[in-house]
Amino acid sequence: MLFRKLLRTAWSYKAQFISMILMMTLGIGIFLGFNMEWKTIEYDTSRFLEDTKYADYRLYSESGFTKGDLEKIASIDGVNAATRYLSVNLEIKGESKKSLALDVSENYTVSTFARMSGKDYDEKSDGIWLSDKFAKLNNIEIGDTLTLEFQGLDTQSEVIGLIKAGEHMICVADSNQLMPDFTTFGYAYISPAKLNAILREKVQNNIADEMQKAGVPADMARSQAKMALTDEMLAEAADKVFSQINLRSDMEKSDLEDAVKDKLGRTIMVVPKDDHVVYKQATGEAEEGKTMGSILPVLFLAIAILTMVTTMHRVATKEKTQIGVLKALGFKNRTILLHYSFYGLFIGIVGSVLGAVLGLFVCKLVMSENGMMGTYFDMPDWTAATPAFCYPVIIGTVILLALISFLSVRAQLKGTAADALRPYTPKKMKKSFLEKLPFFGKLNFATKWNIRDLMRHKSRFAMTLVGISGCVILLVGGLGMRDTMSGFLDLLDNGISHYATKVNLVENTSPEAAATLISALDADWESYSGISIDGYTATLDIVHNSKGRFEVVDEDNKPISLRNDGVYLCLRLADKAKIGEYIAFSPYGGEETYRVKVIGYNRSIMTESITMSDKLANELGINYNVSAVYTEKESGEISSSELIAGKQDKRQLMDSFASFVQIMNTMVLILVVAAVILGIVVLYNLGVMSYVERSRELATLKVLGFRSRKIGRLLISQNIWLTVIGVIIGIPAGVVVLRWLLSALASEYELKLILGPMTYAVSIFLTFGVSLLVGWMVARKNKKIDMVEALKAAE
Amino acid sequence: MSIIQFENVSRIYTSGDHELRALDGVSFTLDEGKFVVILGPSGAGKSTLLNLLGGLDSPSEGTITVSGADISKLSDNALADYRASTVGFVFQFYNLIPTLTVYENVRLVSEISKGALDAKDMIGRVGLLDHLNNFPSELSGGEQQRISIARALCKNPKILLCDEPTGALDSETGVMVLKLLLDMAKNYGKTIVIVTHNQNIAKMADVVIRVKNGKIRSMEEQENPLSADEVEW
Repeated sequence: MLFRKLLRTAWSYKAQFISMILMMTLGIGIFLGFNMEWKTIEYDTSRFLEDTKYADYRLYSESGFTKGDLEKIASIDGVNAATRYLSVNLEIKGESKKSLALDVSENYTVSTFARMSGKDYDEKSDGIWLSDKFAKLNNIEIGDTLTLEFQGLDTQSEVIGLIKAGEHMICVADSNQLMPDFTTFGYAYISPAKLNAILREKVQNNIADEMQKAGVPADMARSQAKMALTDEMLAEAADKVFSQINLRSDMEKSDLEDAVKDKLGRTIMVVPKDDHVVYKQATGEAEEGKTMGSILPVLFLAIAILTMVTTMHRVATKEKTQIGVLKALGFKNRTILLHYSFYGLFIGIVGSVLGAVLGLFVCKLVMSENGMMGTYFDMPDWTAATPAFCYPVIIGTVILLALISFLSVRAQLKGTAADALRPYTPKKMKKSFLEKLPFFGKLNFATKWNIRDLMRHKSRFAMTLVGISGCVILLVGGLGMRDTMSGFLDLLDNGISHYATKVNLVENTSPEAAATLISALDADWESYSGISIDGYTATLDIVHNSKGRFEVVDEDNKPISLRNDGVYLCLRLADKAKIGEYIAFSPYGGEETYRVKVIGYNRSIMTESITMSDKLANELGINYNVSAVYTEKESGEISSSELIAGKQDKRQLMDSFASFVQIMNTMVLILVVAAVILGIVVLYNLGVMSYVERSRELATLKVLGFRSRKIGRLLISQNIWLTVIGVIIGIPAGVVVLRWLLSALASEYELKLILGPMTYAVSIFLTFGVSLLVGWMVARKNKKIDMVEALKAAE
Repeated sequence: MSIIQFENVSRIYTSGDHELRALDGVSFTLDEGKFVVILGPSGAGKSTLLNLLGGLDSPSEGTITVSGADISKLSDNALADYRASTVGFVFQFYNLIPTLTVYENVRLVSEISKGALDAKDMIGRVGLLDHLNNFPSELSGGEQQRISIARALCKNPKILLCDEPTGALDSETGVMVLKLLLDMAKNYGKTIVIVTHNQNIAKMADVVIRVKNGKIRSMEEQENPLSADEVEW
């Protein structure tokens, strides 16, 4: 019987029950969704990286690694597996603006791939294993032939398998590209045997070219070159191309660095996986998720629980007489408490189940092959994972809700049955501090009425403010993130990059050859190389941008005209030295340490770098090679050469951000929708509560002769005032949250916080819209108020 | 001169197939400036009658004319205007706005009533000038009812409607409130209609209407009504 009462009572408070269930669903859903998102990233990516033996460390040497070097490194105690590795970006012949990262893992113990279809890995195979995603988007099938240009040499391979590889789980051409774009850039593996065949042909061609230069006829030169080729020559060529050793080890970076130096007798640039784009971005995404997950869900869950506290309290006070009747009938306190605790339990369980469904939906919206991250991560398995702490949190929340009901009802059960039977008496009115202010007496009756009503029901007042501010925070945070990202892309497109094509040069390009190319392309150039700042790995960026093909910008995104009396630290390195102080760094592969004065900070798009002019680098005697040149020529106009490792179209680069922007927009849309729902649910729930609490007063006004419209305006005006206060709190709080989010992202990007006027306008407009809509919905009830009924009962 | 006229007025509540006639074909006429008491047991229909007269409800059948105007088919807004201009209410449980002070509660009516009297003066007349800035919850029941009377009269209505005005008060305070009510009404020349089941109050009335089962059982004019002091409480 009591259960039937429970259902009927729930139905009589349907607005409150539905809103509490909705809030719980939203709270649990957003909490689970965001936490599942980062956990799924962590779980799926780490499993895939483990499956494909993703390297823990990458050793780089511009002069390459010999087989002997590899053996020495493999023999280091603590190195579990090591391979010479090649990963080079190559253009696909006959396909404009399409290129591949071509990888070779010499002994295939580290940095392997997962075969999705076709043939298994075979170290002697002549074919090529191609990224399945690239193949699909470019209509390439197993059996098709690809022609790649390797250092000026065309080489053909048959596609024998479609794969996914941990090394390219986030498949970007270089650190300037934020989002993978498989329509233009993919990856492929070939066997060491195939690489050998290519190198053999290349070395033979080189010998034949030399002979031809010496006057030997072409045919003869080619046949003689074949005979002149020795294994040593081939090995030397291989040593040069294998500029990387990938290894798996649990050693500390500094220990490994020492051990490598000890074994090879020279300093080698040791890059841990934390600095490799794939691992760094994947963990960065998971960290970002954790950061996001620690704000939004807490906000939602807290609001849900607070809503529950206030609403349950109101329901219990409204039920006071019923509670008294049950008590008078002889029901024990325990039975009554259990009965009412079940309300909270019921809301908790229903909300949690619906929340779990919503959470999975939110998680899948982000983390699934067709979801927002589907374009970012290229991996085979997208199993959703839940952090272990979520279970106790959900169970705890359900118990908490039951407890809230329990405590709310226990307060009504105090005293005798006769006490319980007496109707609820609202708190006595006391003068608040506001009344003492001189202007208070001059306020009109409606304002005074509203102010006193709020002071009388402080928890409702606070909850409403939390709801409105929460709504504004979400809107400002979401839309501000979008503004900031748009500003970032605009900076990249219009503020920094004034080139048409970026040409990446092969690693050991001689200064003379680079100078010829630079002058032919009328280009600016940049050299980047690894340096250690007291053990901290960063990039030394040597810049020559006299033609303005690209800019270095300051904190305010204004171009810096580089001076020659010191270096600029990127904002992420700003804590390493103040302006005017000196900073010391040593390039990897050398013994020198340079001490230079810091003369400014710059905003670096991707790399953590120290930037200096080429003039200063020359004065200091730093040994460097040009890494990339920036030209206004279109990529099609630039003929291939041995120097060129790859070409990157600026438009293509900017287009690759399209999917990134799309992800951003979806996220913003989710936040905006969540904000609006949050606003509507909280305000409606509290609005109805306020209406019920004031129904007697409203009825009195009506009896006195106030028209419904005037009373409605009175109700809406309270909403408007609360919205004004909520907006005043919410906007700076939103900026703080956004700033905090950006600082959490700062390890990856140096973003300048941008909030456009439209963001403020839309946030304020939407919040007021929600507030007025809810105010209107509540005020509409006023027409139906039963004056006679409302006036019957005693206060 | 008649001020209130009920012609064959019924108020029928329907709930499913069930029909309840709270008032059933009631007709009567009341003159201006009279003190009218409507008597009857619980459920007799006396509050329904008062609600209809006060414009809180509309009749299902029949016509109600107040000061020559038919109020039985008015819109919500017109009824609100009627309540604002023509009638003042005094309730059993006072119905003051808890978040407004004594002064503000009385002053409130000037927001809607053009001919409203001076609030402070009115509070003075009910003897509560010392409590101008108190909230209702800081006053006793009798004091709250006095404020309620001040508020009702401040609108300067033609008719004062009182629903069990002494019902929540002890008898001593009740007598005091009744005296005040009558004095004030007489001073301002108002018609008073009191709904009660207290037979003693009826002894003070010019006109007594007895209601039972939704019908008027009797309506009598008293030549020599007693004063509050003369009635044995």
